[in-house]
Amino acid sequence: MKQPVHRALLSGIALAGFASVAGAQGYQLRVETRAQTAAYRGVRADSVLATEVRTAPTGGLQTTDGFFVRCPAGSAFCSFFRPGAYRKGGPLVSSVDLTMWGMGVRGLSLRVNGRAGVDLGESDVWPGTDPAVQLLEAYAEHAIRRVTTRLGRQLLANRLGIVGIDGGRAIARAGAGLEVEAYVGLGMARATTLPVSSAVLNPLDDFQPRRRQLVAGGAIGWSDRRGDVRIDYQREVDRQSRQFASERAAISGEVRPLERWSLAAGAEYDLANTWFGNADAALRYVSPLLTAAVGARQYRPHFDLWTIWGAFSPVPYHAVNASIWLRPLKRLELRGRWEQYAFSPTETATPLVQVDNDGWRFGAGASFSPSDIWTIDVGYREEYGPGASSHGFEGSVSAVPTQSLTLTVYGSTLDRPLEFRFEETGVKVLGLDAEWRPSPRVRLAFGGAHYAEDRRRPDASGFDWNQTRLSARVTLLFGSGADHMPLPRAIRTRPGAGS
Amino acid sequence: MIRARWLLPPLLAMLVLFQRGYAQSQDRFDHWQHRDLFPKCTSCHAGVEDQAETLWPKAAACADCHDGVIQKTVSWRPPSAPPPTNLRFTHRDHIEAVRRTIHADSLLDCRSCHAEPAADRMQVRLAVAQNCLDCHGIRAPHLSAPDSTCSTCHVTLAQAVRLTRADVARFPVPESHKAPGFELKGHGRLARGTGNSLVSAACATCHARDFCSECHVNAPEVATIQALAPDPRSLAIKAELKAPSSHADPGFLRRHGSAARKSAVSCATCHTQESCLACHVAQPTLALALPAAGPGRGKGAVIHRARPASHGDDFAELHGPVANARPETCSGCHVRPQCLDCHRPNAADATPGYHPAGFLSRHPAAAYTRETSCSDCHNTGQFCADCHVNAGLSAKGTLDAGYHDAKRSFLLGHGQAARQNLESCVACHAERDCLTCHSALGGRRFNPHGPGFDPATLRRKNSQMCTACHGALIPDSP
Repeated sequence: MKQPVHRALLSGIALAGFASVAGAQGYQLRVETRAQTAAYRGVRADSVLATEVRTAPTGGLQTTDGFFVRCPAGSAFCSFFRPGAYRKGGPLVSSVDLTMWGMGVRGLSLRVNGRAGVDLGESDVWPGTDPAVQLLEAYAEHAIRRVTTRLGRQLLANRLGIVGIDGGRAIARAGAGLEVEAYVGLGMARATTLPVSSAVLNPLDDFQPRRRQLVAGGAIGWSDRRGDVRIDYQREVDRQSRQFASERAAISGEVRPLERWSLAAGAEYDLANTWFGNADAALRYVSPLLTAAVGARQYRPHFDLWTIWGAFSPVPYHAVNASIWLRPLKRLELRGRWEQYAFSPTETATPLVQVDNDGWRFGAGASFSPSDIWTIDVGYREEYGPGASSHGFEGSVSAVPTQSLTLTVYGSTLDRPLEFRFEETGVKVLGLDAEWRPSPRVRLAFGGAHYAEDRRRPDASGFDWNQTRLSARVTLLFGSGADHMPLPRAIRTRPGAGS
Repeated sequence: MIRARWLLPPLLAMLVLFQRGYAQSQDRFDHWQHRDLFPKCTSCHAGVEDQAETLWPKAAACADCHDGVIQKTVSWRPPSAPPPTNLRFTHRDHIEAVRRTIHADSLLDCRSCHAEPAADRMQVRLAVAQNCLDCHGIRAPHLSAPDSTCSTCHVTLAQAVRLTRADVARFPVPESHKAPGFELKGHGRLARGTGNSLVSAACATCHARDFCSECHVNAPEVATIQALAPDPRSLAIKAELKAPSSHADPGFLRRHGSAARKSAVSCATCHTQESCLACHVAQPTLALALPAAGPGRGKGAVIHRARPASHGDDFAELHGPVANARPETCSGCHVRPQCLDCHRPNAADATPGYHPAGFLSRHPAAAYTRETSCSDCHNTGQFCADCHVNAGLSAKGTLDAGYHDAKRSFLLGHGQAARQNLESCVACHAERDCLTCHSALGGRRFNPHGPGFDPATLRRKNSQMCTACHGALIPDSP
């Protein structure tokens, strides 16, 4: 696989060089290099003779040096986990994003997006740096008023997720807001640029297809001033077994019945498992003073059919949520978000282990800008649910002393109990980010954060360890004419998603 | 009766003082204090009467009294150059004009211009503009005088070459300029000239083309503006380009496209193509109707890329259905690399923006009951399992280690947790771990199928998956 990737990337670089000397062409080139240092410490499985364990103060069994052990009945050995080694990663990733147009054919453009990455850390543990050179996209696009065609490696991002193909895609616009799309190609694994047969994607040495799947699909959409709707269909076929790896359809849309009001909804349907996957609907009101939303959704993971996970019947959870953003003053914003969810019945009989069926998430915060220079942001979040929970504060102070410089100091606290582990982790973070834009096309960023982590367990596995993470980023924009976009600054003013 | 010839000297003296214009300093000669010493204005301002003399007294004349003995010394010196002014007349011309028009029985004297009505002699000051207006029959306050009358006394700014930028900056602001809406609509109508003139003389008195070009990016195409002479000193008067009230409407961002289609000319007053390109990543057709930024044009309205009203603060979480329903709308302002900043498969770098700082420490709680789908952006094999293997968090052939040690019999009762959080399970466990018990071919033969399982359809779609547990003997029902 590496050779074709190398060839494609070299072709892209060659095209970039050609662009710089061909005066008639337009181009936009974004080059970015990021580096960071980070470390983590896991666990290491170990065992001890059953005759060498003793009773712990808590009543269980532990090793002589204080680690809880599990002693299966009839086994001569007891097993346990020791703290693992410090694993230090230092990923250095350079990405190139190039778009070229104006090559003599009206509507023709070329696009290349690739990256090269290496882990400079001593442990070579950072995910995603193997293979070292990866080609995300490399395609030619021809776009005229009614039809857009695209040929080459491309990422398909739609309601059904992100999947890459080496193939073709065509979009026809029939007028009156009607749009039809179709695509076909050899697919890559979900959310990566590597084929499903790549060994990199199989660290657990699990079942794995031997050949790339065939991806085909289409969509039909309609847009109007008052709303939009789109229906997607996508199938993935294992070329070796000639059976489906996935077959799904989705619908998504938005209705804007009144000024400031919108209703967005969407749902995915798994045609192989004959159940609905993720689905959501949200009613939103947006005004300068107030933004509010209420919604409901279902979440159910999707597994390709070359795994057996779908047959284990993962159940969805159903949630209702509400969020509000209030701006009582020009420089003050208050926000809150809440979600309550409950899993569908799992139809399992597990009297020995009680697991929660429902949970909730809550977050609140405020942003205040006493002047054009300063922005202060504080927030609190808490979530509780099956498996784990967490709660903590976070805050930041950002300063923009000049148009080209942004400084941010941030901090957060976290307490994270895990339901299935005798472990509660506390983490305190204090960090600084600096971003300097000496010109609209150059951005330099540096960051550092200190993590004070405390693993609280009633045995020897409860260890404290701290670390400092550093990061640096250089982003360069090159382009012809005025068809470029200045890089906007980033200021932390809201709780991050995924909390 | 006062004969006209006796009036001329004081009148000319008055004009000299008038000519001092706006730049006159405040520490001028105190005429009132010297009222008893100088019975006639021409005693000091002889040049008004006799062009062979200077308009100002010699400094030595002051020293006759201010010698340090009789009076304290003074350091006054006569001006070395004519004062800066934008007044139209010269002394000679005005003398001739006055001689032609002033009748023998006129009561005009120095005070007629250089003093408020009913002021005493020597209570003089710079020429009172209202006196000029009264004399010239202009029945309006000075800064509200009709357009046609300005040129009676004033030359255009471009012609007033001795005025500095500082002088221009001190120009008084007419009342008309303070009226609501003057900047946006009112001034255009007033700026149009009358008769053969393309531009109002009133505007030209204080302004030049450069001033207009500060806001009007279409200045090269506007005849009224082009009728003004270029003059960079006009930039000393600061104009603030304010957005029309229509632009403040929350829905304007959404509607501005159709509004621009109806009247691109209106947009072109303040916007160049750069305005469009500040947000639109492609070259919209409408942008071509606007002038391109370049020499001869002002920068116009400066557009800052900002979130539209529809992109509330929760939009990052909710944009999926919207973006999927109408992707071409997104592409008006966004390019694919921006999507990939977050939707980047297996990013190996610390991409800021989506996950908050310290998310690595927090992610177990977030991953257990996913608020968002991790696998939308992260390949679970390459990203989750790879890290977990390195951290020792993977099952490799044995399930005895008791990782889930907070639940004493977790292995026996893991079903509920597994069906609720199967994505978390597979981040550490391979299929063979489960098949140890959940296989029809061996082990404990526990049936893994649960609610919603549709064997017939699954078998039709991919029977190979069934064979992993059932071999060739796939049952008709679970």
